[in-house]
Amino acid sequence: MYDVTRRQLMHLGVGAAGAAMLSGLPVPARAEDQTLALYNGQHRPPVEALVAAFTAATGIAVVTRNGNSAQLASQLIEEGANSPADVFWSEESPSLVAIAEKGLLAPLQAETLKQIPAKYAARDGAWIGAGARSRVVVYNKSMIEESALPKTVLDFAGEAWADKVAFAPNSGAFQQQVVAVSLLKGRDVALAWLKGLRQHGRIYNSDSAAVEAVEGGDIAVALSNNYYWYALEQELGPDNMNSALYFIGQGDPGTLITVSGAGVLKTSKKAEAAQRFVAFMVSAEGQAAIVGAIAEYPLRPGVVSPFPLKPFDQLDPAPLTPADLGDAAEALALLREADLA
Amino acid sequence: MTSAASASDGSSRRGAAASAPASRWLVALALIPTALIALPVIYVLMRSWGAGWQAIWSELARPRTLRLLGNTVTLCLSVTFFASLIGYAAAWFTERTDLRGKWLWRVLCCLPLAMPAFVASFAWKSLGPSFQGMPGAILILSMESFPLIFLPVAASLRSMDPGMEEVSRSLGKGPGTTFWKVTLPRTLPALGGGALLVAAHMLSEFGALALLRVQTFTTAIFQQYELQFDNASAAVLSALLMLLCLPVAFGEMWLRRGVRFSKVGRNTARRGSPARLGRAQPLVMLGFIAVAIVSLGVPFGRLGYWLVKGVSAGRGLDALGPALFGSLSLALPGTVVTTLIALPLVLLVLRSRGFFARFADRLPYVVHGLPGLVVALALVYLSIRLLPAIYQTRAVLFAAYAILFLPLAQSAIRASAELVPREIEEVARTLGRSPLQAFVSVTLPSLAPGLGAALALVALELMRELTATLILAPTGVVTLATEVWSHTNDSAYAAAAPFAALLVLISGIPVYIFTLRTLRPRTDHQAL
Repeated sequence: MYDVTRRQLMHLGVGAAGAAMLSGLPVPARAEDQTLALYNGQHRPPVEALVAAFTAATGIAVVTRNGNSAQLASQLIEEGANSPADVFWSEESPSLVAIAEKGLLAPLQAETLKQIPAKYAARDGAWIGAGARSRVVVYNKSMIEESALPKTVLDFAGEAWADKVAFAPNSGAFQQQVVAVSLLKGRDVALAWLKGLRQHGRIYNSDSAAVEAVEGGDIAVALSNNYYWYALEQELGPDNMNSALYFIGQGDPGTLITVSGAGVLKTSKKAEAAQRFVAFMVSAEGQAAIVGAIAEYPLRPGVVSPFPLKPFDQLDPAPLTPADLGDAAEALALLREADLA
Repeated sequence: MTSAASASDGSSRRGAAASAPASRWLVALALIPTALIALPVIYVLMRSWGAGWQAIWSELARPRTLRLLGNTVTLCLSVTFFASLIGYAAAWFTERTDLRGKWLWRVLCCLPLAMPAFVASFAWKSLGPSFQGMPGAILILSMESFPLIFLPVAASLRSMDPGMEEVSRSLGKGPGTTFWKVTLPRTLPALGGGALLVAAHMLSEFGALALLRVQTFTTAIFQQYELQFDNASAAVLSALLMLLCLPVAFGEMWLRRGVRFSKVGRNTARRGSPARLGRAQPLVMLGFIAVAIVSLGVPFGRLGYWLVKGVSAGRGLDALGPALFGSLSLALPGTVVTTLIALPLVLLVLRSRGFFARFADRLPYVVHGLPGLVVALALVYLSIRLLPAIYQTRAVLFAAYAILFLPLAQSAIRASAELVPREIEEVARTLGRSPLQAFVSVTLPSLAPGLGAALALVALELMRELTATLILAPTGVVTLATEVWSHTNDSAYAAAAPFAALLVLISGIPVYIFTLRTLRPRTDHQAL
């Protein structure tokens, strides 16, 4: 056995760390450097379009760290006060709410918040929506008639729909839908709905996988966000689509508005530039860049999406705002109870 | 001159080795990987502990945990079994029979290494729902992992003196008995080493299983991180996963106990008389073709289809250069760091059978089954608290790479190191060389094949590594793997295809080097 004292261990640790640092070649930060660090969980096309427009308009460069929104939120929480991030752009509002609850977000400027309807931002102004989308039902046109689709999303958990419904419990938007069912119909109904889906539905790893399964004829129906279908349509060509969108409407949680959005980190050392970035996201130019690259609805009045979306004012969605849905912790509790997580 | 090998011989060598004190330098160097590996273990235990007994118990007692355990064990055992069967059979047919066109079959058996499992799974999934679920996952993953068995077994058959088998036959033993009593036991370390890697891969596999809709501990851990921001139950599942790695890590060690096949002298292995296949010849060829269609034909065909088709093709093609550069600038130095860190571990355990040596040698295998996500978050947590200056530099990422892939380097180096008789270094010492001189002039050159194989294998894995890279790479750095991931995330398969194709192409280089090392025409050394 080898006697290794604590002091020897310490020496080794320091030596190893030193060697690691040398091999790591950290880039020295320039004093006047205004480059923003953007943690991005949103799909890349709209983010790349917006960053290009922002840099062209302001001369401020942006370096993007791409990842999954929830993982980036976990990472930001682990980083805490030492986070190098300036702005967090999330695919879903619960990730923003989660880090706001940890006190990691700085309040946005009042001028920025005024640019879009208040119901698509945090009540305390910690984060703001950048684009809206709707929960929809995607169905395979050759496997099912539109008229056979139900008037409420709750029906999909019934035995009549056994082996016909694809859903993705991992998806942030699905979790928000669970919270919506719980808020509008009660917790017991939400739990029974999840148990029914677990028993009769089919689990997919993501909304996009579920939509592809419907398009490919593996399964008749999927619960998804609207833009996954448009992304697939763009990929395959509008004339080749086997699937179509169905909007339940009538205030049912089957049609739920959720947002992607952003916030400025409290620990950002470039707060001014970071605030400018978020302000640009909801400017006319920024909104046009975003909705030109993903089939989300613009939140700023007067901006028009180039995608053939169902008009926003005809959706008749569930009467809930993203702030109502919170950090979706309730969804996790329900998913665990239903043995889905 | 024949190779000197038997269990008893090995144990006498072991005795000699134990009496020779391992140098303090070696112990000190071996502490580096041990300390690194300890980081995620400490993190996972700390996080689980923070959850409290109540939470740990309620997590363990859930029916879902049992179901995940069942799935994880089923997948791990089945894939390891089938991959071993296919890999061993392929190696035996190409090394011990008069099969025609051996060169072609060998190449076809190595190429699946270049195909990342998530690309293959995507290809299969797109053929229809029947390939999803456990049976499909077992089929696809067995087909993509059998080269990890084929290569070491083929190398070991090749270096084994066929004289032993001939003696057995001449003593009147049938081909079956000869195989079970002579051939199999001597290829067992190679088979065990390969099987260990396959099993550990299956424990940590994520991408392929997510696509094929199979839930294991690893996919559940990822799900926890998608659902929740404060992660006690993910930590508990990670701790369970490490427990599952224990039998894998020590099982292989048990398999290799006391076996040491040193050869003294060069080119001692000679060509024996191959078994005649006769009328079975076309049947065996058909088998090889079937394996190649499943493991290569479908994935490559699908990739080609996406390359040609799709309106999103061409989108973001200008990112091809930076992504290639990113992949190489992370994978190549990461490979060197990982291999260098592994070297003292292997040398130490060959020279010392003390507790520390064995513990340090096995610890990396326990962590090898952990998903990259857990290791990455452990390093985020620790580096930002203890050494914020190195956070999001390459240093932390290389540390993660080493933690995740040390066992690959260890297995490859060990295969060479075990073939170097200690006596040779001792002779050098008695001739007046210092220990360091003796090591550099005698041992190191003999380790070259193993080091080469280690570099190739680790480079192959680092090139396709995704989760640790996403979390730890310097902000703004992209790799081929992260580009494939982001595009498939947006359903832009045609846009992903050029990156995936380039990834497979680049992976072909280490595969080529590795294959060449392993299956070089008879030489004095062989890797793995």
